[in-house]
Amino acid sequence: MINVCNIVKSFGENDVLKGVSFKVEKGQAISIIGSSGSGKSTILRSIVGLENVDGGSIYIDDEPLVENGIYVDDKTFRSRSLKMGMVFQHFNLFPHLTVRENLCLAPKCVLKRGKDVLNQRCEKLLEKVGLIDKIDAMPSSLSGGQKQRVAIARALMMEPEILLFDEPTSALDPELTGEVLSVMKELAAENMTMIIVTHEMSFAREVSDRVIFMDKGVVLVDDVPEKVLVNPENERIKSFLNKL
Amino acid sequence: MLEFLLNTIIAMSKGVGYTVSLFVITIIFSMPLGLLCTFMSNGKNPVLRAITRAYVFVMRGTPLMLQLFFFYFGITKIPFIGQFLVMERFTAACVTFVLNYAAYFCEIFRGGLLSVDKGQYEASKVLGLTKWQTTVRIVLPQMFKVVLPSVSNEAITLVKDTALITAIGIMDLMHITKSLVNGSAGSIEPFIVAAVFYLMVTFGLTKLFNYLEKKFMF
Repeated sequence: MINVCNIVKSFGENDVLKGVSFKVEKGQAISIIGSSGSGKSTILRSIVGLENVDGGSIYIDDEPLVENGIYVDDKTFRSRSLKMGMVFQHFNLFPHLTVRENLCLAPKCVLKRGKDVLNQRCEKLLEKVGLIDKIDAMPSSLSGGQKQRVAIARALMMEPEILLFDEPTSALDPELTGEVLSVMKELAAENMTMIIVTHEMSFAREVSDRVIFMDKGVVLVDDVPEKVLVNPENERIKSFLNKL
Repeated sequence: MLEFLLNTIIAMSKGVGYTVSLFVITIIFSMPLGLLCTFMSNGKNPVLRAITRAYVFVMRGTPLMLQLFFFYFGITKIPFIGQFLVMERFTAACVTFVLNYAAYFCEIFRGGLLSVDKGQYEASKVLGLTKWQTTVRIVLPQMFKVVLPSVSNEAITLVKDTALITAIGIMDLMHITKSLVNGSAGSIEPFIVAAVFYLMVTFGLTKLFNYLEKKFMF
């Protein structure tokens, strides 16, 4: 479903990604872990087009977004990348719009869905994330955990086939991470294809089909959670896990 | 005494027309022009960027009075093209004020634009919104909230700046006030009436902007 092939990216002198490759099959949940600066977030941002890679290829359903460092044209990129939704560390809700408007704006403008369809879907998704009572609230009145659940619902409104999570609980108070993680677990149980950059090791172990450990811009290990998180052989991973 | 005051008010109300029209015209045209400059000075085209920067530098860096004289008298003296640039007093005043205030609004809006979080653009992009949709539906509403207090400040300054057009002989409120004072052997009532008028307008504007700020509280 997603095929990331040898992508390379540098910010000035700093080589952030030094040839990263991995595949994600439909229905899989993949966690990407590693210390900060290892390039985890940059991978997600590159897949979704918030960063441009310098080399390598990214395919969605065998269709290229970028091939050997050359991007498809903007329009094609936009339509292909619509298969992906993204959830950010800092939620990035639109502060001037109500929860309902946050959810409905993009599907209305981009997918041209009708009002009734949107309202129905909006209510269904808010029900799912447990925030139907906040439908007319402004984002500023929500807690961090609630904001992130709205952000997940907003991403789902675009009917994505793949959801990317960029440290979705890192900006939350510890007691609020649970409500976000449980929504994500539910999505994983429904076989949503997900790539999750996270520091929540027990969560990663529980929901992931595979865990990718990144270090200094390369994939060090890409294996089932037991191999990476429970009985790691690699010394670098051992010392990373011990520090947590 | 009362009759004198009444006559004063009636005489002055004729000048109010110029004052109010100049204010309204300046607000209506300088804000969109300022916004356009903001996008140009933030845009990718280096030539447009340089032009807007130079424009803002000149309009903010010279006195409004000088600009007023320039557009009314000075511009007509330019060789060859000057003869085509002769304007009515009030037209020249409008052109000057719109160009001057647009430069200030350009800078105010630029500040507002910078205050919109990068994450807002990223979320919009990932959701598939076009650049235009992002600007109109996401960025501008958030920008307006931030700039409202400064815009309010500019609008109030503008009310008082309109008095400058007296200098090029327009019969605005200030002009009539001055001639009434001169003609009545030193009575000060016209000054007070004029002050009350300016205060009424600025009071109304303050209330309006307070209302807008509440409405844009999110």
